[in-house]
Amino acid sequence: MDRNQFIKWIESPGKMAHKYSLHAVYFSTGCGIIEVPPSITARWDAERFGVIPTATPRHANLFLITGYVSLKTLRAIIRTYEQMPEPKFTVGFGSCPINGGMYYDSYNTIKHLDRYMPIDGYIAGCMPRPEAIFIAVTHLWTLIDKDMADGYKRYRKYYAQYRANQERVLGRLEWPPLFPLEKVHEASA
Amino acid sequence: MRILWFILSPLIALAVGLFFLGLARKFLARTQWRYGPPIYQPLIDILRFFTQKSVSHGAVFDLGVILSLAGSFIVVLFLPFGGICPLQSSGGLLVILYMMLLAPLGLALTAGEAANPNSSIGVSRMFTLALGYEVPLLLVVLAVMARYDTISIVEIVAAQREGVSNLATFPLVLAGIAYIMILPALLGLRPFDVMQAPQEISSGPLAELGGRYLALAQLQHAVNMFIVVSLFVNLMWGGSSNVLIFLLKMIAVLLFVLWINASFPRLRIDQAIRYLWRWPTLIAFLGLLLVEVMRK
Repeated sequence: MDRNQFIKWIESPGKMAHKYSLHAVYFSTGCGIIEVPPSITARWDAERFGVIPTATPRHANLFLITGYVSLKTLRAIIRTYEQMPEPKFTVGFGSCPINGGMYYDSYNTIKHLDRYMPIDGYIAGCMPRPEAIFIAVTHLWTLIDKDMADGYKRYRKYYAQYRANQERVLGRLEWPPLFPLEKVHEASA
Repeated sequence: MRILWFILSPLIALAVGLFFLGLARKFLARTQWRYGPPIYQPLIDILRFFTQKSVSHGAVFDLGVILSLAGSFIVVLFLPFGGICPLQSSGGLLVILYMMLLAPLGLALTAGEAANPNSSIGVSRMFTLALGYEVPLLLVVLAVMARYDTISIVEIVAAQREGVSNLATFPLVLAGIAYIMILPALLGLRPFDVMQAPQEISSGPLAELGGRYLALAQLQHAVNMFIVVSLFVNLMWGGSSNVLIFLLKMIAVLLFVLWINASFPRLRIDQAIRYLWRWPTLIAFLGLLLVEVMRK
């Protein structure tokens, strides 16, 4: 934790501010939300590191998907993600967003979330303890430091593919594309 | 030299307001037996908001935030802070009361342009609450003006005794009590945080603000905090010619309000109006009568 190192603040104020002001949208899809209240209240107190929950995606830059993702919630997850201002970071919480977890053979659950939106990191476990959230946050700091938390850039670059994947499972999407699709097609062709 | 203060005093207000925001978060954390964020956390947040990409919803959306911040800065110029007051001879208290409405107006324009239902509900709550606290506030200010026979805030400060023991001195006792009762509503803190209410209407008027719009709204919030607390210290606690003592008085008032903020849950808007129009209004009215009786 280098929050007190003044030189770093002078060198790259934007990057440091993104590291130590992670306002999170918790997408409470499954049982993972149980682990969130202890981590933001008096027991573990995530606000020490600048991590606080926000009520609206416009204020947020961290997106926690806590639990399994059904087709219905995937629609809401994508809309929430697209409303967040860049730079934004996403973390899949628990084993369900990684590979479906215990819902591996369910007919209406998404197995690999990173096919439909970019994920910067995962917390494995069923469920992970609140300590795991803090470990994830420290990992995310390292990723931001090394410019490796670039999910939002990937989303921009491969938007056509992501959009095609989304349309394959959700049918026709009722919102317009976030980025122009033609340019990306040319680049891939 | 006077020109310099026109630039410096809004900046001082901004710095003090940001310090107050950090203090508020730390105080809330310590009351809940948490360690809490560092006291400069609001600065980090605002820096982050400024470096983020932001979505605009139209020209009024852009101008509304700027209007609200500019309105707050104008009020600061009329307020004595320690011995500093850039615009002392013009207008006085009445201008301050008028100008204080510019900030909510700008925020309402922004929220209206965003066309988010949560924002609209927040704005309607904001103005309903303003309707609630303006009545007792005007009665209190009227009592203060009647007590000192002037509308100039500088003369009101000068007429009061120097020191710490002059909090709401005798004829103004009831007016002071009423003022303290409406302070959380003026600051938008619990039990009167119906305007933002993150759990019900997802931050209300701020719901659609992202990036640098949110940063400007946060700065306005900080300046507003400075304005409300400093107005109380000037009217009721005699201000001070010493900047440091003035700051200490402001912190004392703020800590009291934050203590109420940490202790009580949120009221519904109808409960808030019923409370504001009943007890503080009644006490402020009696306070005005008391001042009038003592003058003869």
